[in-house]
Amino acid sequence: MKYIVIGASAAGLACAEEIRKTDKDGSIKVFTNEEYLPYSRPSISYYLKGVVKESNIYLRKPSDYASRNIEIITGSCVNSIDREKKEIKVGRKTFDYDKLCIATGSYPFIPEMGNVRSKENALTFLDLAAVKKVKAKAGKNTRAVVIGAGLIGMKAAEGLSKICKSVEVVELAPRILPSILDEKASEFVKKYIEEKGNIIFHLGNTVVKTKSKGKRVSSVILKNGEELDCDLLILAVGVRPDVKLAEKAGLEVNRGIVTNPETMQTSDKDIYAAGDCALSTDIDKSKKIIALWVNAVKQGKTAGSQMAGGNEKGGITYAINAIDFYGLRIATAGLINAEGSQYKDMVKSDKGSYKRLIFEGNHLVGFVLINSSENAGIYTSMIENKDDISRMGKMIDETASLFLFDKKTREKRLKGEVG
Amino acid sequence: MKKVYAKEELCLNCRLCEVHCKTAHSRSKDIIKAYKYEDPVPVSRISVYGDNLGSAAVSCRHCDHPKCVEACITGAMRKDPKTGIVSVNESKCIGCMTCLTVCPFGCIKIEKTAIKCDLCQEDGEPACVKNCPNGALVYLEMGGGKA
Repeated sequence: MKYIVIGASAAGLACAEEIRKTDKDGSIKVFTNEEYLPYSRPSISYYLKGVVKESNIYLRKPSDYASRNIEIITGSCVNSIDREKKEIKVGRKTFDYDKLCIATGSYPFIPEMGNVRSKENALTFLDLAAVKKVKAKAGKNTRAVVIGAGLIGMKAAEGLSKICKSVEVVELAPRILPSILDEKASEFVKKYIEEKGNIIFHLGNTVVKTKSKGKRVSSVILKNGEELDCDLLILAVGVRPDVKLAEKAGLEVNRGIVTNPETMQTSDKDIYAAGDCALSTDIDKSKKIIALWVNAVKQGKTAGSQMAGGNEKGGITYAINAIDFYGLRIATAGLINAEGSQYKDMVKSDKGSYKRLIFEGNHLVGFVLINSSENAGIYTSMIENKDDISRMGKMIDETASLFLFDKKTREKRLKGEVG
Repeated sequence: MKKVYAKEELCLNCRLCEVHCKTAHSRSKDIIKAYKYEDPVPVSRISVYGDNLGSAAVSCRHCDHPKCVEACITGAMRKDPKTGIVSVNESKCIGCMTCLTVCPFGCIKIEKTAIKCDLCQEDGEPACVKNCPNGALVYLEMGGGKA
């Protein structure tokens, strides 16, 4: 069997490794247009602030690939997929496949804003190549402006705040981190960051124009007329699923690549898709892109197993994220911003922490834990297993533990069994 | 592989396992010094939950398909293919808590990095098992006894 994986981040790597678990002999080729072996995307902000060295950013040792006979081909841009001939084109070369996985991830969306794309101090913050450029340009006199207060923008801002003279964040939405936090939690985190991080926020605002001096952006002008001087502009408005190859090949695409969530198979039976480029089905059955690491790995594993004839099936998918800002520890999962009368929640918060659990009937469907994330995985397992929580008492006041479950379930879990 | 199993019916909620785990993972390996003088304060990798009516000590299950390893965003959490032990490479871990957020047993703690049971063997068997006064913790092959 010949397997090809396009993309070598969370989903692509998980896919390749899972194929190898089932098929010991087939050839596995992983193509990435990046110059690096698989590395930790979320670590790039830690690399920026100097906490993680480049040598520690790689997910596996090079020998791990060799010993498992997984070929990672870096610096290779796949141009097209020929579904009839079952081959892909990489430059002038072609490679044929029996099973193919598209794990092309997402790319940063760059708004027009007066040709900002061509400016040398206007940079994105999505991959290692980009962060290396940022690192080279950020110094102690740098005034940085970050556009976008999502996960990428906020992590960039945090990293930069340790290096730069000033960091200002501009965000169109009225709050920060809307994808992982509810409104109150957003406010809580914002206050903390303002205090600890010395970051200035311009929320409910947007950059309408940039001023340049030669090839450099010198300032940005906001919707409310305010002008911010800037030596470094980070574009973190958002990401888009990279579905160009899939579209060109005529696969079914609806914002993300459409797949069967149990198998990650696309509309072509020999082509699979996983990660940020693939559409997921959330707990509330809505179809969306869940551009988060854990989801990408899960989907990659499912795709890999299915490609190799294994029996790993995709379970329910849901957002799950853990992150910290200046020591404030945040863990969230599931339906965080659920709207509708079927959802109830419980909140407990004080000066230093915030805990919110979201329920639908007798099931936990989401949580937001700030500095209260002890044993958060117990809650995650309740979401995943759809555990009946009606006899668990007032969960909000208790630290999550196996003692929330009845004795039978607990005994099972103490043995290491879930479900 | 041999793992630590908790017997709820025998657990006295005395938390000596926590004390000895902490000591075993301290620099001094001395109970008093570990508790009173060490900085950073050593952390117990096993935790007793419940109350005097029913309690059990919970530590890593070293799963066959560990969710923490699957979810780790840096490649710091690995399962040793030979020993089966799930452990954290502290030089790679950034303390992001993703592992803790997916562990269905609540067995991972976070300080600067993730901290978890490593099935310490310095005393011949894990310190928690060796020092449990009532046999509520046993070190057995899977399926080797009623847990």
